[in-house]
Amino acid sequence: MATSLSNMFLKGIANRSLSRPLNGLFYCTRYSTSVSNDSDTHDDFKPANKLEGSGISLTNVIEQDVKDNPVMIYMKGVPDSPQCGFSSLAVRVLKHYDVPISARNILEDVELKNAVKTFSNWPTFPQVFVKGEFIGGSDIVLNMHQTGELKEKLKDVTSKQ
Amino acid sequence: MGSRGAAAAAALSRASRIRSKLQSALEATVLEVDDVSNQHAGHAAVRGSSDKETHFNVKIVSPKFEGQSLVKRHRIVYDLLADELQSGLHALSIVAKTPRETKPAQ
Repeated sequence: MATSLSNMFLKGIANRSLSRPLNGLFYCTRYSTSVSNDSDTHDDFKPANKLEGSGISLTNVIEQDVKDNPVMIYMKGVPDSPQCGFSSLAVRVLKHYDVPISARNILEDVELKNAVKTFSNWPTFPQVFVKGEFIGGSDIVLNMHQTGELKEKLKDVTSKQ
Repeated sequence: MGSRGAAAAAALSRASRIRSKLQSALEATVLEVDDVSNQHAGHAAVRGSSDKETHFNVKIVSPKFEGQSLVKRHRIVYDLLADELQSGLHALSIVAKTPRETKPAQ
């Protein structure tokens, strides 16, 4: 029971705070791991065991992110307002394709940032995942765009509604 | 590392440390290391940081990249520069090619 509640909670984080395209525009909310400390969060919705900060729960969030979102980018800033040239470049390249782009802003959360680095064993951002596969950073995304590999990878990704 | 060693390492610019680490490990035939930190000064991630050498463009041509995917090539570079990434190096733009790939197309 505790486990399933915890999973529901994690899924809740994953669903609520992703930047998802909405009518062609990016609808962005801020990601935060400090949910359970919010004064307006009811005790029932807190994780049964304190996992936040340990990296375990965040790894679950990342696994769910890359599984549920065919194009997932961990970046500095949000797609419509990148806070770094490399993140900006990666988003610009991905926007060439008619695919939904899901994003998390790692500047908002140092724990998430570290968890993503550990997850992919990659030290810098942005980090792009396509269909669960780690693709790389902006240099690689740009290169794959230029060689046509990215088009091939994204061809069976459902286009935006 | 003794204090003299530490002082010597600190005196050496990050650019030259990057250069020597990559050169010796990768036997690069082409190695360009450009400090582009000024282009990123003040952006959200480095604002308030005392580090000056944070962003570099690196171009490497090395036979060691032969048969390696781009992700693997970048991982090799990141692994070689792990100490730098731990100590204030913030981002690298990496062009990693094999000698064969740099030859003009016939």
